[in-house]
Amino acid sequence: MSWEPRGPGGNMEDPFAKILQEFQKILKKRPGGPVFKGWKPILVLVIIGLFIWKGFYIVAPDEQGVVLRFGEMVRTSAPGPHLKIPMIEEVFLPKITKLHRIEIGFRTSRGGIAQMIPQEALMVTGDENIVAMELIVQFRIKDAREFLFNVADIGPTIKKSTEASIRQVIGQKRIDEALTVGKAQIQQETQIVLQQILDEYEAGVQITAVQLQDVDPPEAVASAFKDVASAKEDKEKLINEAHGYRNDLIPKAKGEAAQMVNEAQAYAEARVRRAEGEANRFLRTLKEYQQAKGIIRKRIYIETMEAIMGDIEKVIIDSRIAGQVLPFLPLGRDGLTPARGKENR
Amino acid sequence: MSKQGLIGIIVVSILILLIIGASPFFVVDIIETAIVVQLGKPVRTITEPGLKFKIPFIQEVIRFDKRLLDYDSEPQDVVTGDKKTLVIDNFAKWRIVEPLTFYEAFRTERTARARLDDIIYSELRVDLGQHDLSEIISQNRSEIMAKVTKRANEKALEYGIEILDVRIKRADLPEQNEKAVFRRMQAERGREARRYRSEGAEEAQKIRSQAEKEKEILLAEAYKTQQELMGEGDAKAFRIYAEAYGQDAEFFEFVRSMEAYKKVLGKNTRVVLTPDSEFFKFIQQDK
Repeated sequence: MSWEPRGPGGNMEDPFAKILQEFQKILKKRPGGPVFKGWKPILVLVIIGLFIWKGFYIVAPDEQGVVLRFGEMVRTSAPGPHLKIPMIEEVFLPKITKLHRIEIGFRTSRGGIAQMIPQEALMVTGDENIVAMELIVQFRIKDAREFLFNVADIGPTIKKSTEASIRQVIGQKRIDEALTVGKAQIQQETQIVLQQILDEYEAGVQITAVQLQDVDPPEAVASAFKDVASAKEDKEKLINEAHGYRNDLIPKAKGEAAQMVNEAQAYAEARVRRAEGEANRFLRTLKEYQQAKGIIRKRIYIETMEAIMGDIEKVIIDSRIAGQVLPFLPLGRDGLTPARGKENR
Repeated sequence: MSKQGLIGIIVVSILILLIIGASPFFVVDIIETAIVVQLGKPVRTITEPGLKFKIPFIQEVIRFDKRLLDYDSEPQDVVTGDKKTLVIDNFAKWRIVEPLTFYEAFRTERTARARLDDIIYSELRVDLGQHDLSEIISQNRSEIMAKVTKRANEKALEYGIEILDVRIKRADLPEQNEKAVFRRMQAERGREARRYRSEGAEEAQKIRSQAEKEKEILLAEAYKTQQELMGEGDAKAFRIYAEAYGQDAEFFEFVRSMEAYKKVLGKNTRVVLTPDSEFFKFIQQDK
């Protein structure tokens, strides 16, 4: 591990144990005799008390203790209570399990609302368009020593490196990719580039995630972009309406067609039936007629005359004067038309 | 003098020195390098941290940050190879590797930063001026940055500085160009939107007229079938009539005429007849 203490002292033990050792040695020097008599043991106790008071520190469960003695790193401390040599030793407590997070392109205000920051968010795409990216970088401290001591202003460094990385990646994408299908790819590539940069700096940082929060066209053109989506919808709508029209028209037409055919069939059938009926009637009459022509003919005639003569008005004029008199006969009647079928001789 | 006595004198001397503030001790922190200067002349370079000794009063310690330092200047305009302007915001990571050389060149970090500005910016301008705008933004970005880093580093070495990385944080278009780009983007999207809509209208039109054509064909076919069927029906009916009436055409004429008279001559008919009219033909004959 890179934070094993090194230096002239070799492997240094925890001073806590060392103190106990010293205390025991002092006790051993006075076998049998009363321990707390005299000024020397009291002085030792006072010194020990000060030691513990000034040198006590606790490492929280998500932290790691890094101890410097005279500016030199000598050991690390696991979570729990520890002692350091006051004034001489200095302790740093980086949170090594915490997922730290940096916002790029926006800030979340205290109210929880995300506000885009144009200078950070707007960047140029590969096809010379401009897009607004809002993203979050998540990282962990992977090496406490590197993180604490290798890079000055590590926080801003991570942020700048992220900005450089995302712009590098976006510079090779088309705007439509960035807005739609390319997001996962962009996140991955940015993470790779960013990790490479930070490893080159030996920053002791592990990037756990790059997450795109929001990818939008710049505000100035946002409505134009939205309109494209609307236009796509409009296109769908027009086509669907046309299909609807078709789905209405064709079945109706088929119905109409079927009806025409049915009516024709019905007509034909009726026609034939009627013909058959009339023909049969005639044939029956004919059959009768053929038995006794004269009688039948007379019968039919008389029946007909009976039927007609009763109703019609008859004027019978001698043929010799008919032509001279006819024009003067009052043939027309109120509201009634003159007889059809009259014969002028 | 006894050994204990000697130790006592040393301890007391050190305490006195500490009290008057002329400590012989100094600490070099883990993030520092230091040089010890004696009467204005550097005599020693210290690169490892820890507790160190110096001669009080005569020697003084000058410290330098050992870490990777940040250089970030204001965004500046750079002209590209194809005569376009980019606003470049770059940063660089650098270290002091030779404290002595650095000290002799600069004395302070602030002076150093001014020199860094020169080195880095001039190198950046030269390299970017050799590439087109699109190369800088996309294809050759990392290559260009690597080249600038290398060249700048070569220049910086003589000052005891290592330039580890020069990176373009932002490469943006100047404001007017930005506006022009926005206009172009809008126009492009406008064309796209129009295209979708007209495609939709065209497609819809096709579907509709296709449907109407089909309808017409359906109805025309049906009409044809209708006429055929009716014709067949008529023909069949005629055949039946012909067959039946043909058996005695004259009788048919007689019977049919009788029926016609029945129908035609009804209540409100006035008939003017002469005795020798066709109508009475039968009367007279059948007297």
